Amino acid sequence: MAFWQLTRLRVVYPVVLVFLLFVDGSIMASMSGIFTVFPWYVLPTLTLSWLFYGVQFDADKDMPFWVYVLLIGVLFDMYYTGIFGTYTLAFGAAVAVMKQLHKLLDERLLSGISVYFLGIVVYLVVAYVAGFIIGIANISLTHFFLFEMLPTITLNTVIVAVCYYPILSLFQFSR
Amino acid sequence: MRKIFSSRAVVTIIIAFILIVGLIAGSNWWAKRTNTPPFLQRFGNDLAGGVSRIISVPTAAVGRTANSIGNLVDTFEENRELKSKIDEFAQDKVRLQTVEEENKSLKNQLKLKATLTDYKTVSAVTISRSPTTWQSQLVINKGLKSGLKKGMPVLSGAGIIGRISEVNTTNSKVALISDTSEDANRFAITIKGDNGDVNGIVTSFNREKNQLIMGQVTSENKIKSGDLVETSGLGGVIPSGLYVGKVSSVTKDDYGLSKRINIQPAADLGNITTVVVAVSEIGE
Repeated sequence: MAFWQLTRLRVVYPVVLVFLLFVDGSIMASMSGIFTVFPWYVLPTLTLSWLFYGVQFDADKDMPFWVYVLLIGVLFDMYYTGIFGTYTLAFGAAVAVMKQLHKLLDERLLSGISVYFLGIVVYLVVAYVAGFIIGIANISLTHFFLFEMLPTITLNTVIVAVCYYPILSLFQFSR
Repeated sequence: MRKIFSSRAVVTIIIAFILIVGLIAGSNWWAKRTNTPPFLQRFGNDLAGGVSRIISVPTAAVGRTANSIGNLVDTFEENRELKSKIDEFAQDKVRLQTVEEENKSLKNQLKLKATLTDYKTVSAVTISRSPTTWQSQLVINKGLKSGLKKGMPVLSGAGIIGRISEVNTTNSKVALISDTSEDANRFAITIKGDNGDVNGIVTSFNREKNQLIMGQVTSENKIKSGDLVETSGLGGVIPSGLYVGKVSSVTKDDYGLSKRINIQPAADLGNITTVVVAVSEIGE
């Protein structure tokens, strides 16, 4: 394999995906003084954002996309919670919803944001419900919605919107 | 009417749902039972911890800068308040040293070895924190190699922040007290009341009020808000005398039979960059 092939999307995409998984944790650790100031609880979801770009810019056609989704879910569960299944399902469900919606919508920014919006809602709700299954949920739905879901979605949607066109050109360059 | 789902799809979804619920519940049960995760998981976590450590260098620097800017705003007020406290602490420190020496020589005379208050500390750096709704955990850069074990208490700044929930070879996870899972915050505490102590355990954490709850208290000893709470050392793994927080209010439980004590934790659960693990010396 020649060196230039390393810039190909099918190489870059999974590497960035794994990288962002750890960046999420690092951001949460270093910015927790701002993100988790009581009563707020904001989560960085860059990994999900990268999966969204994959769906939105049709990167999934060049690579075993579902395998990556599954692997990143398992890695996330193993490293961050130690409980298998929750985030594997959350990532899977979010990507499935985003894929279905992407079929109906085009590649404009606003359509993209609506796709991402629904994806992140599914992602957070699946994680919330999983907490109930194993009996560790200790906040009410209203509190979760107001202080966690709302700021998380706002922050991450802004990040996705700001990076939308730069990432689109990156995908076009490395395809 | 057009069918949205074929019967095959419905069956597949149901089976997948059952499998996933089983997986979540099963791995949760397994994680509680075992002290260290299975080899493959531990190996993966060690590897992931290594990558995390590198990535955390630049992000931690950014976070530190952001925090410093935030702190700058109320530095003046804080400085004035702290200056007035310093003299008080100097006096307490001298007194503590004298008492500690006296305590040591008395223990020697009694031929006592380690007691509940003796513990060593292992300091560690936070390399990651779960970006998740539940199971809020820190990953710290010390593990089996530094002698850490599951269940050990972890302190940061003013007081206790959680317990070790999983130990890998070179890193471990800390379940924060804000987490309701049983291994995170069920530790024995004692409240120093005016007319005697009240012993009990933390029964849960109220995330909506950011308070620890000590339920089912039947003791008649009077507790008022502002009373200090510390670990009692009962149970063995957690040494006694670790600062937990202050009583914020005392209420009746749902049935009006016993008291429920709400405790304001001393430690700030956001912004944890370095931690100290307290290793009890009992049984060594």
